[in-house]
Amino acid sequence: MSVATAQRVIEFREALREAMIEEMRNDERVFLIGEEVAQYNGAYKVSKGMLDEFGSRRVIDTPISESGFSGMCIGSAMRGLRPIVEFMSWSFSLVAADPILNNAAKMLYMSGGQFGCPIVFRGNDGAGGQLASTHSWCVESLYANVPGLKMAIPYDPYDAKGLLKTAIRDDNPVFFLESERLLSTTGHVPEEEYTVPFGQALIRSEGTDCTLISFGRPLHFCLEASEELAKEGIYCEVIDGRTIRPLDIDTMVHSVRKTNACVVVDQSWSFASVGSEIASQIHAICFDDLDNYVHRVHSDDVPTPYSHNLEQAYLPNTRKICEAVRAATYNA
Amino acid sequence: MNDANTTGVEASGVPQTMQKMSKIDLAPIPNEGVLLGWLRQMLLIREFEVRTMQAYQNQLIGGFCHIYIGQEAVAVGSIAAVNDDDPIVLAYRDHGHALARGMDPKYCMAEMFGRIGGCAKGKGGSMHMFDADHYLYGGHGIVSAQTPLGAGLAFATKYEDEILKGGKSSHVTLCFLGDGALNQGCFYEAMNLASLQDLPVIYVLENNRYSMGTAIDRGTSMAEELHVKSEAFGIEHAIVDGKNVIDMYRKFKSIADWCREESRPFFVEAQTYRYKGHSMSDPRKYRTKEEESREEENDCIDLLTTFLTEEFDFTKDALKQMNKQVKVQIRDSVTWANNSPETPMDEMYKDVYTDTWGPYTGTSKPEMLEEGGET
Amino acid sequence: MPIEITMPRLSDTMEVGTILHWHVAVGDSVSSGDLLADIETDKATMELQSFDDGQVSQLIVSEGNQVDVGTVIATLLEDGEAKVEEVPEAPTPTIQKVVETGHRVSPVARRLAEVYGVDLQTVQGSGPSGRIIKRDILQVVDTVSETTAAAKTTSAPTPVVPSTPIQPLVSASPWQEERTVPLSNMRQIIAKRLVESKQTIPHYQVTMSFDMDPLLEMRKTLNKQLASVGIKLSVNDFLVRCCALSMATNPEFNASFGGDSIHYHGPVNVGIAIALPEERGGGLVVGTIKHADQKSLRTISQESQYLSKKARENGLSPDEIGDTTFTISNLGMFGVDNFTAIINPPNSAILAVGAAIEKPVVRGGELAVGNEMSATLSLDHRVIDGAMAAIYLKTLKELIENPASLLV
Repeated sequence: MSVATAQRVIEFREALREAMIEEMRNDERVFLIGEEVAQYNGAYKVSKGMLDEFGSRRVIDTPISESGFSGMCIGSAMRGLRPIVEFMSWSFSLVAADPILNNAAKMLYMSGGQFGCPIVFRGNDGAGGQLASTHSWCVESLYANVPGLKMAIPYDPYDAKGLLKTAIRDDNPVFFLESERLLSTTGHVPEEEYTVPFGQALIRSEGTDCTLISFGRPLHFCLEASEELAKEGIYCEVIDGRTIRPLDIDTMVHSVRKTNACVVVDQSWSFASVGSEIASQIHAICFDDLDNYVHRVHSDDVPTPYSHNLEQAYLPNTRKICEAVRAATYNA
Repeated sequence: MNDANTTGVEASGVPQTMQKMSKIDLAPIPNEGVLLGWLRQMLLIREFEVRTMQAYQNQLIGGFCHIYIGQEAVAVGSIAAVNDDDPIVLAYRDHGHALARGMDPKYCMAEMFGRIGGCAKGKGGSMHMFDADHYLYGGHGIVSAQTPLGAGLAFATKYEDEILKGGKSSHVTLCFLGDGALNQGCFYEAMNLASLQDLPVIYVLENNRYSMGTAIDRGTSMAEELHVKSEAFGIEHAIVDGKNVIDMYRKFKSIADWCREESRPFFVEAQTYRYKGHSMSDPRKYRTKEEESREEENDCIDLLTTFLTEEFDFTKDALKQMNKQVKVQIRDSVTWANNSPETPMDEMYKDVYTDTWGPYTGTSKPEMLEEGGET
Repeated sequence: MPIEITMPRLSDTMEVGTILHWHVAVGDSVSSGDLLADIETDKATMELQSFDDGQVSQLIVSEGNQVDVGTVIATLLEDGEAKVEEVPEAPTPTIQKVVETGHRVSPVARRLAEVYGVDLQTVQGSGPSGRIIKRDILQVVDTVSETTAAAKTTSAPTPVVPSTPIQPLVSASPWQEERTVPLSNMRQIIAKRLVESKQTIPHYQVTMSFDMDPLLEMRKTLNKQLASVGIKLSVNDFLVRCCALSMATNPEFNASFGGDSIHYHGPVNVGIAIALPEERGGGLVVGTIKHADQKSLRTISQESQYLSKKARENGLSPDEIGDTTFTISNLGMFGVDNFTAIINPPNSAILAVGAAIEKPVVRGGELAVGNEMSATLSLDHRVIDGAMAAIYLKTLKELIENPASLLV
């Protein structure tokens, strides 16, 4: 391996594309379907060029009809095809809630093990920037409540590719949550074949004083906060959960046992959320290891505002995370 | 994909106007043996449903339970018209279709009893009959949820036949729906996609004239001209007599063959009537006894019996004999189901995911599939 | 002034009595000699008579209840005293639960306090509403091991688990000024732990003498051979191995009392008491040699030296002091003949070892000079009975007096 390939740096969206292209080359049962994925080259250019390589039978444009095409793809997955369904935004998945939650997630169980559903739903999750409330959904907490589905949230291009390949190969329905704000970020992605397994959190930075847990885009703010806090002598251990189902609680617990303090950063609303679930599990497992209750940083408990200043204040950000860590470690 | 020169279809494959089936030729009437087989199937379904009601009242069956009595000819006639490996998907009034498709009634009954011997190991119940060996992709509980799945099954067979096997699309999917499903949005999304993608799926509307307690003209616009529902999507349609199994079959066979050949969707309205309530708890106060009696006089089993008597010297004794056999078979099924153990606790965390992690213990197939080869 | 009637001692051995029946009620007038109550003693049912005249103002102990001799069971008002109704009700002699207030402790702080034996009552909490947090406990523990140079808060605090009574090594000089020195945290912990051990564990002692000649001989030979690799085995190293090996046939010595059960430990972790120098605040710690039954003399020696050195210079980490299952306290190097030690909970035995001393001994019917060592076991009678102690000492004796088996 030459130095050049070792250092190959590509965009997040290219990493996603590579994952899909490689898996579609490997397995003819895999196809990509969604609004504007083919002729338009993808609303966010993730699928750029894929129509040319695979043709319209495997890179399929749909009408704006999430309930219909989600259900259709689930039916095809019951027979063993492996659809990749792109939601232009996970916000639009709400109109497909019945097929993706009732059919995809429960088919194996309700058929007594007869019909599985190897399908990937993927698209942008979270606030894109002044899109107002209906288009800024963070669906992780809403959907993570449902057993039978898996959920992955990549943070960097390496994980985007590795996790998506794992998702496509998984025999279960996978909800794959990307972020519009991360699509243009770049990172090292090797040329060589690799996958990133589900259920293995990644320690993105080591520390001794507070465990900082997050998924996807808010990790950016966690890492920023971590640097800021280090100047004050507070050292955070930043954990990228990577997948919510399965959740790698072991890595989180291991860290909390060391730091005795924990802050969870979850961009969805706080009530009955991924953040509250992790906090609850940490409280239960690490009760005697905690020096303070688990602090949480979420989006504010209001519909996402359009106004730039309100939206910025609404989302989890570096300042809020720093404050939470200081409070959790009695440095407020 | 259609031939580009098919009437009304542009080269892009997207139909711009109605794609007509030139004429529905009636398929020939099958021989006596086949007709006797249908009669036996209809008797079997009816007896099964009678015993289902009894078991429900004896609290052996819980939850929602929807009885198919009166509509037997629809399932028997349509399923007889397609190949054994053509996929079927439907709603929650699904016992009759499962039996018509060949599921042993004991697995169907055990499923309703919530036993491990059930077709879904007691995890689905009355509304969720699945049978992989018989290409039955389930009864589904949410009204109309099965209609996009039906498009998906057709998408899959077409994809398999054309892309994975490199041949010609050679399957047709049956997707049954009740008249209540006509008013759910996803049905129209499904038809739109089926038409756009040229999917070989037949939407079989079992119009029994009531969605729960709402008469069709109270809940569905254009109730007397339902063909307009599919015309909007360029999908061909037909009306069949859902009480006359022979008529049902003859038209349906012709339609299914066309769909298979052309790889196009179809919308069939089978006119029928359910004798019992929507579910076991329905007092049927929304319609008159007179209406029910009138409908029951025109019964699908009587119609076929009469035809057989007139055409093939079918005797009352023979009918009695057949009824007796059917009763024995269903009684045995009930006994078998009753003897099947309750679904054990270790099934709780099974079949949630195919793999094993956290509390989840992977997946396993029901007993029905293991024995499938023998029955 | 109301007259107090107490539970009388009605038999020579009576310690408690039960009120079977009151013959009077509140408000009744009684005269001396009147029957007040029937009392059940350990031997019989006896009558309690009034010694005074007056009005019954309170019946404090109700029928069927048992109280200690001397407990006030009723009061009388002499004529002319305040009315019965106005007498405020005295508190009933039920045990009042002491309600802890004002002490908020974070879970990890509570756990650390337990590990390091820090009394939470003495700690000032720095968290919200005075919550005691991890930092507060670590500060307390840090003060104990403050001499550690430039150690950051992350360095392992020196924990303290005392196990043996402190022998006054230097008696106070007569010319020293009288003074009161507040207890250091370590001394507080030692005080608390040892009182707890001595008060709650039914201690008893068994002593045995050991012929040390064969062991000393072998030690000399081995040390000569090992001198080139810098190893010097101490008598204590041999004793650690002997004690550990003896557990195989005497598992009760590697066990803990658990209230309603006895817990037998898997690993044999022998603790060795290490006295700390004055400049480290004095006191002592117990270092742990883990899996001592599986370690050679050489390994034991190396670990033991390491622990002593580290304890005196830097302090031991929690890992190095925890999990002992049996403890040895050796004062032989100070010339002590014999002594008894206090059990180091949750151990159920501790061996107090004196010096090997030249003594006239009888060997083969003849008087000779030999080295003898006396060692005394302190035992938890809830776990180990006398005969078991004797058997353990016999096992130990066989090993000490036939030390070749220690090499295999």
